[in-house]
Amino acid sequence: MEQSRMPELGRFAEPALLILVSLSGGPKHGYAIMGDVEAGTGRPMGPGTLYAALARLEERGLVEALPPVDRRRPYRLTGLGSTVLADQLRDLAAFAALGLRRLEGATG
Amino acid sequence: MRPAASVLVRVYPARWRARYGEEFLGVLEERPLGPFDVVDVLLGALDAHLHLRGLGAASEHRKGFTMTLRLGGYAAIAGGFLFFIGLAAASALGDAGGVFILMFAAGAAALLVALAGLSAFQARRYPKLVWAAFVLPAIGAVVTIIGVLGMVLVGDGRFVGQWSAWYVWSFGLMALIIGSAMFAIATYLTHSLSRPAAIVLVVSSVALVPVGMGLDILSFIPDTFAPIAMGICALAFSLGWIALGVSAVRLDNPGRLAQQGAN
Repeated sequence: MEQSRMPELGRFAEPALLILVSLSGGPKHGYAIMGDVEAGTGRPMGPGTLYAALARLEERGLVEALPPVDRRRPYRLTGLGSTVLADQLRDLAAFAALGLRRLEGATG
Repeated sequence: MRPAASVLVRVYPARWRARYGEEFLGVLEERPLGPFDVVDVLLGALDAHLHLRGLGAASEHRKGFTMTLRLGGYAAIAGGFLFFIGLAAASALGDAGGVFILMFAAGAAALLVALAGLSAFQARRYPKLVWAAFVLPAIGAVVTIIGVLGMVLVGDGRFVGQWSAWYVWSFGLMALIIGSAMFAIATYLTHSLSRPAAIVLVVSSVALVPVGMGLDILSFIPDTFAPIAMGICALAFSLGWIALGVSAVRLDNPGRLAQQGAN
């Protein structure tokens, strides 16, 4: 299972996670990813950040590019990307549940 | 194209632009660029410069990729030059142009190398399109070379079955020219190399086909002007290949990278 761990992405770890979540709904091109992330988080993702993270995800085999339509190139999750994302989200869910339990214990 | 977006894209390294440039420019042009976007893009460009530098030391794949681009570029320049000089001199000198017909064959061989190198570069993004466009001109280049060797070895006699070496050479040359047009169209569609050069190659190839096949549709051209028209078409064909080669070499030129980084 070591291969399914989220690779070390430095300051691009969070944008990478947001991109993976966006692509989990189906292939999207860059501009659509930016819109989807902003709609989902309420925070804009800059184009420089988007492509720095996309390049790393593609390099690590978590996403792959599809043939372009005009100048728009869609990206989609790979099998490895789906596995890594699922593990990452389970870890985050467990961490969030832990935090909520502690809050309830402190306030209850 | 918005100038601000174009300038921002050029801040990125050439290798990065070769892979992401077109789609990134498309994203920048989709909406108005605010100060946040500009700063974000500049930080992204800085990251790309640092990131690619690290990859360059580690990635054998990337080394191979730049090698094919460089090799293909120089081969296209040499092939375009040798093709025109060899064809023009051999046509002008007739039987006395033996050396130049070999120079023409060397040009065809160089164009074969250029086709392989530039196709390998472009196939990273569009493998089916590029390799489909590679087949015909590659076959044409090989048959052209075989035809030239046949002319040197057997002269005007039979070479392959009932076919003379000249016939084989003509068949190969037509395939090379038509295939070059197909390769240029694929190059234009991929946005990877110079699109104006691809257009020149397409137009000159299309113009060369009826000239090379000796079709009557060119009967409106006076006889004295016909060799000049063919020379102009052949020169444009060669210049198209040379320009494609120059654009490939410039794309992989560290000096250009440094210059662009300074701008």
